[in-house]
Amino acid sequence: MSQATLNRPLSHAEMDAFGAELDALRTRTMAQVGAEDARYIRRIVAAVRYTEAAGRALLFFGAFPPAWVLGTLLLGLSKILENMELGHNVMHGQYDWMRDPHLNGKTYEWDIVGTSDNWRHTHNYKHHTYTNVRGMDDDIGYGLLRLFPEQRWRPFYLFQPLIAVIFALLFQWGVAIQRLELGKVFSGRKTKAELREEFRPVGRKMGRQLLKDYVLFPLLAGPFFLPVLLGNLVANGMRNLWTYAVIFCGHFTADAETFPKSVVQNESRGHWYLRQLRGSSNLSGGKLLHIMTGNLSHQIEHHLYPDMPARRYAQVAPEVRAICQRYGQNYNTGSIWSQFGQVIWRILRHALPSRPGKPAPLVEPMAEAA
Amino acid sequence: MSPAPNRLLRAAVAAPVFDFWSRQFGSIQAWDRCLARVVARREEARGAVTLTLQPNRRFAGFTPGQHLNLTAEVEGVRLTRSYSFTRPPCADGRLRLTIKRVENGRLSNALCELRPGAVVELGQAYGEMSLPQGPGRYLFLAAGSGITPLMALSLALEQNPQAEATLVYWAQRRDELCFAEELRELAARQPRLRLHFALTREPLRLAGEFGRRLDAALLDEVAPDLSALQVFACGPRGFVEDARRLTQERALRFHGEAFTPPEAVAGGAPVRVQLLRSGQTLEVPSGAPLLAALEAQGLHPDSGCRMGLCNTCACRLVEGVGQNLNSGETLAEPGSELRICISAARSDLTLDL
Ligand SMILES: Cc1cc2nc3c(=O)[nH]c(=O)nc-3n(C[C@H](O)[C@H](O)[C@H](O)COP(=O)(O)OP(=O)(O)OC[C@H]3O[C@@H](n4cnc5c(N)ncnc54)[C@H](O)[C@@H]3O)c2cc1C
Repeated sequence: MSQATLNRPLSHAEMDAFGAELDALRTRTMAQVGAEDARYIRRIVAAVRYTEAAGRALLFFGAFPPAWVLGTLLLGLSKILENMELGHNVMHGQYDWMRDPHLNGKTYEWDIVGTSDNWRHTHNYKHHTYTNVRGMDDDIGYGLLRLFPEQRWRPFYLFQPLIAVIFALLFQWGVAIQRLELGKVFSGRKTKAELREEFRPVGRKMGRQLLKDYVLFPLLAGPFFLPVLLGNLVANGMRNLWTYAVIFCGHFTADAETFPKSVVQNESRGHWYLRQLRGSSNLSGGKLLHIMTGNLSHQIEHHLYPDMPARRYAQVAPEVRAICQRYGQNYNTGSIWSQFGQVIWRILRHALPSRPGKPAPLVEPMAEAA
Repeated sequence: MSPAPNRLLRAAVAAPVFDFWSRQFGSIQAWDRCLARVVARREEARGAVTLTLQPNRRFAGFTPGQHLNLTAEVEGVRLTRSYSFTRPPCADGRLRLTIKRVENGRLSNALCELRPGAVVELGQAYGEMSLPQGPGRYLFLAAGSGITPLMALSLALEQNPQAEATLVYWAQRRDELCFAEELRELAARQPRLRLHFALTREPLRLAGEFGRRLDAALLDEVAPDLSALQVFACGPRGFVEDARRLTQERALRFHGEAFTPPEAVAGGAPVRVQLLRSGQTLEVPSGAPLLAALEAQGLHPDSGCRMGLCNTCACRLVEGVGQNLNSGETLAEPGSELRICISAARSDLTLDL
């Protein structure tokens, strides 16, 4: 089905009403946020710490294969939880109201090679403000992949099926260097000196992470240095693959849309909401899936309300869906298999030259002219 | 901990991880925060409880007359309020705070319910009231919970043979007086302390008790030599303002500490915004978005989306009343994150910016 038939363009008045309904839902939900949410995130912190401790302890006996497998799985699980349900959500300021310095959006530092400060800029600010706006949201293909026909094709993209796999395995490194915008250095828009300066905190964080996972903990295991090192490597790899899959499913499914830069000019609140909706896609599934994806299985709700405690998304989802229906908007959701299948299709299809289809306007053409 | 393992530990463990495990094992040691355990609790008077706290080694000490910020979790949310040391420093390193229940008070009532074993977080001591060694004559005016730092100063008289003081302590009813017995004993054995109680809602008065609020006549009675005295007044804002009005011009020195929070002002009125990191104080119109107001004065705080969603401009509210202009909610909890792009000042503000 083409995007134009899935979504109805809205008049300015409808757009305002759409925004007002979503604002009201937000206000209603935020008024309920409190002790329960605090208890929940504390339990997540405890789960992250205990699975990490258990995983690392088991890895010390990693010469014994079942201990290695279980230890690696637990450590991977801990890293996934820390990355998604804890780190990503806390850094959005979702739990700032608790006023806990260890759960503060501006100071939280997560357990990956990328610095939280750079993430707050590329993700919280750029990606969330300019979601799927071409040339403004660097998450569209991360400068490596062509996922939408609107991106200009170059022969380099013929290799993208392979590049996508490597990128997935090394995803945390991609996140770490995203803000350095290496493309600008190659094209001469950034000097080497500027790059060196920007790399300093990134390099420090990388060093720290490498030291922790690949030197200190393996050394602590003495003769079992190697199994511990390998366990850490695989656990980091698990986390990389999973976060990559979840993030790609959030914005690069078949029906997800991208937008030209002009959309953000004098954008109304309703228009901003509509753009967030059109650019995002959900994963349907049970509670476990929601927790393991840091509730990014509710990517749509996350993009509408990035600073709402993520465990509330499941609660608001039916209402968001009903609002979408009233305004003739597609609520893009599906199983992880179907959504990730669509992502893979995009990676394969747009490796080859492709042409954009009929655009699906956000605003009624009549209203636009008026 | 010796420096070398300490450095290694710091490379391997992050502060939140250390703090988490420390608490799991029941310890109050923390990476860089000052935690304290409640070791004793005692009903001090009707509606007031004294807590004895054992701080961890991050606590740097205090002098009588000072306060600290205490943070505790209530219903999942951390609340911070100031409390005063009610006793001079003790050899055992323990701290005594006396907390008075406040109607509908969020933190005071929760603290009064704490039992030994509970853990709270402390800031460092602050405050300008003190009893320097050497000659000095003081008038202590205390109302309600305002007695706390003045109790510590009264006790400190014992260590300062050249200081003398008159303490007037107001409460509504006699059974609300904290430390009444102890103060009487102190005054009996220590001629350098003169003590008066004042009860505003007690039908029967005992000898030596006043039965009314602070006024000029009462002042003449307890301190005929006001011009030679340094006045310390602590209590509700209205009380401290009365004391200031009556004594500031005539006394040698006046120092007041209001224990009740400031109130929000109407939109448009100028308020002072103090920025702690940049060390500046500016005047902005209350009710106007802070980011724009600060930019209009040539400042460039971090900011991003300018619509309250990316959290880039969030900064900590240290003191004062702010308002979220999107939701209309006011924000007065110290330690809250204020997104300045969509927030306005509603009183004088101190920001960690
Ligand atoms: C420098 C300083 C030292 C202090 N020392 C002490 C101390 O040693 N012991 C002590 O008990 N308190 C002390 N206080 C007061 C204390 O910080 C809190 O304000 C008080 O405990 C009420 O907090 P709450 O969270 O219970 O009330 P909140 O939930 O903040 O307020 C509830 C309501 O009570 C009003 N209110 C707030 N504080 C008071 C008050 N003190 N009296 C009457 N009404 C109030 C508020 O305006 C509000 O309407 C001190 C305050 C300051 C500024």
